[in-house]
Amino acid sequence: MKRQDVAFAAGAIVVLLMGFGAVHAVANPYFFFAGYVIVQYVVLATAWNILGGYAGYINFGPAALYGAGVYTSALLLKAFGAPLVVNIVAAGLVGMVLGLMMGYLTLRVQGVYFAIATIALVIMLETVVHNIEYLGGARGLALIAPEPPAWAVGRTQFVFLVLLAIAVMSVALARWIERSWIGRGLRALRASEEAAECAGVATLRLKLAACAVSGALLAVAGAPYIYYASYIDPGSAFSLTLGLNTIAMPLIGGTRSWAGPVIGALLLASVQQAATVTISSELNVLMVGLALIVFIAAAPDGLIGLAERLRRKMHA
Amino acid sequence: MISRRRFSKIAAGTGLALAAPALSTSSLAQAQPIKIGTSISLTGPLSGTKNALTGYQLWRDDVNAAGGLLGRPVELVTYDDQSSPAQIPAIYSKLVDVDRVDLLISPYGAVLSAPVMPFVKQRDLFLVGMFALAGNDTVRHDKYFHACPWGPNSQVNWARGFFDLARAAGCTKVAIMSADIEFAKISAAGGKAISEEYRMSVVYDQSYPPNQTDFSAILRNIRAAQPEAVFVCSYPPDSTALIRGLSEVGIGDSVKIFGGSMIGLQYASLLANIGPALNGIVNLHLYVPEPTMRNPAIDGFLARYEPLARAQQLDALGHYVPPFCYAAGQIIEAGVKGANTLNHAQISRYLHANPVQTIVGRATFNELGDWTEKRVLMVQFRGIRGRDVEQFRQPGRQVILDPPPLRTGELVAPFGAARSG
Repeated sequence: MKRQDVAFAAGAIVVLLMGFGAVHAVANPYFFFAGYVIVQYVVLATAWNILGGYAGYINFGPAALYGAGVYTSALLLKAFGAPLVVNIVAAGLVGMVLGLMMGYLTLRVQGVYFAIATIALVIMLETVVHNIEYLGGARGLALIAPEPPAWAVGRTQFVFLVLLAIAVMSVALARWIERSWIGRGLRALRASEEAAECAGVATLRLKLAACAVSGALLAVAGAPYIYYASYIDPGSAFSLTLGLNTIAMPLIGGTRSWAGPVIGALLLASVQQAATVTISSELNVLMVGLALIVFIAAAPDGLIGLAERLRRKMHA
Repeated sequence: MISRRRFSKIAAGTGLALAAPALSTSSLAQAQPIKIGTSISLTGPLSGTKNALTGYQLWRDDVNAAGGLLGRPVELVTYDDQSSPAQIPAIYSKLVDVDRVDLLISPYGAVLSAPVMPFVKQRDLFLVGMFALAGNDTVRHDKYFHACPWGPNSQVNWARGFFDLARAAGCTKVAIMSADIEFAKISAAGGKAISEEYRMSVVYDQSYPPNQTDFSAILRNIRAAQPEAVFVCSYPPDSTALIRGLSEVGIGDSVKIFGGSMIGLQYASLLANIGPALNGIVNLHLYVPEPTMRNPAIDGFLARYEPLARAQQLDALGHYVPPFCYAAGQIIEAGVKGANTLNHAQISRYLHANPVQTIVGRATFNELGDWTEKRVLMVQFRGIRGRDVEQFRQPGRQVILDPPPLRTGELVAPFGAARSG
């Protein structure tokens, strides 16, 4: 094991221990309500970046996979009273299958056409949910989640900890992909799909793998939501705003490495949470739009790329 | 030796010194405002209801001018929920856990209220509901009180007035069309249940996507089914498009009554925009300026609301949302004053046992906090000329057909004849 891997593993354990400690040390549940949203975006941005950042296939439909996870979990909770861990695994499997189906799209469509096709997936799944009465249809579904384990202090704290664990695992997986032969293959694919294929890179298999992993993680991010809000509706689960945020965060942080989406999500989601209870209103969405324009113009490789550029300039 | 007089002085001084901190703390506590927290959809698809804030503010100003509650001023703590249910859990936790509000009012409508209900149930908090149809039917919280007169079993009953009118007009065949959206779906389900109860045959029952703009095909299909009543459950954008389509395509001579649950036809901007094409439509409302509804309290409220609406570019009429926000404040006021405490259980007990006089009528609550008496109006648009908003402030333009105690006219049918104004 390399020194960097040891440092990463130690950092991951520290994050988990800090989360567990915070649940017991901080009495005010609000911080876990807000923290849940921030950590959820860390998972979403990391998951999106595996396909959108590493492979360069822009998925405009992360909300479709997230929504699929939300509704899979709610379905299992309503039908069987399934525990959260089962719901998370099931959501991951559903997301993986949907991701694979999306991956097969790449056989026929690329670039902007792929992006448009992924938007269609959001509309399709939302329409399906609208027409399933058992899932509440357009009116939404209210479910009271079971009591959390005693060690978790409260329900919000429990789902926060679960999502924090998911976030740590997602980031670890993204980091492993980035540094493995898969990551190298995906980078080649992003640079030039034809050239990569000529050089012997198994592009289809890599694209399918990236779609499946990205899809599974996006869906897993949605699984605990019903435990958090006790209510789901198609408008929130398949929200285009959620999709926009998910794409904006890696672009702001940087799409080339695992740290970019984490930094982007922590920054943007924290500012948004603060804005909701301070300046509020349209400024929230405007902020995302402005941040995107600024970063695309001034720092196309995100904060990580900007820092790298500044470091090089200083050493030059 | 210490004299008795000196001892008395020392004792009084010591007593005063000991009591001073308590006295000052007590007077400070008295000066602390009573905080009432809620979220308002200032942005997003429900931002048409942002005039709710004006309703709450007018009540706050009135109650503070009258000396506040329990001798303390009232302060509103509000956040923009962006019309998104995903924002609600964090906002209400902020209100309760960080801002430490004393009492809560729910967000607007069923979708935004749904995430609040488990929250208040788990924490056993008092909540005034706003516009959520059957908002407490699932959770059944005993400290919930609705500010809107949807009445008991509202999921089914709230649109009963439309079907009562249809039955009285001799309708036996009904068409039901609804947008694929929460409120419209609930309305349509209620409409189907009542049709079955009244032995009316449903000859058309379809929903359409919320972003539908062309209704010509749907209207032709309905016309082909030859219904006698058409129950429409739509949201503002599709309400407008549908009425425009109605003017172009028509609905057939068989129809006696058309409308029911069209959201948007309560707002000044849409009413002015549609103008004479409204004539003949029968639709829900909660307040219209008809003689049976008006009273000095609501007239005074609207007289104060209108200049504020002009200045802040809010809905010019303010008939739909703001009076009920003012009523929500009055329910809180009655509960706190009646129970003489901020204790949620005692306020709830008081409100369950006592009626509350509000500017929108006398509210008596059942065990679920719904008004015991439904007071949803079915009004028919008549004599609408041009696009002047002022005409909607005059009596006789939105004639109340149901409920009978508030009736100001009879249904003009068939629909084709009523359309001629």
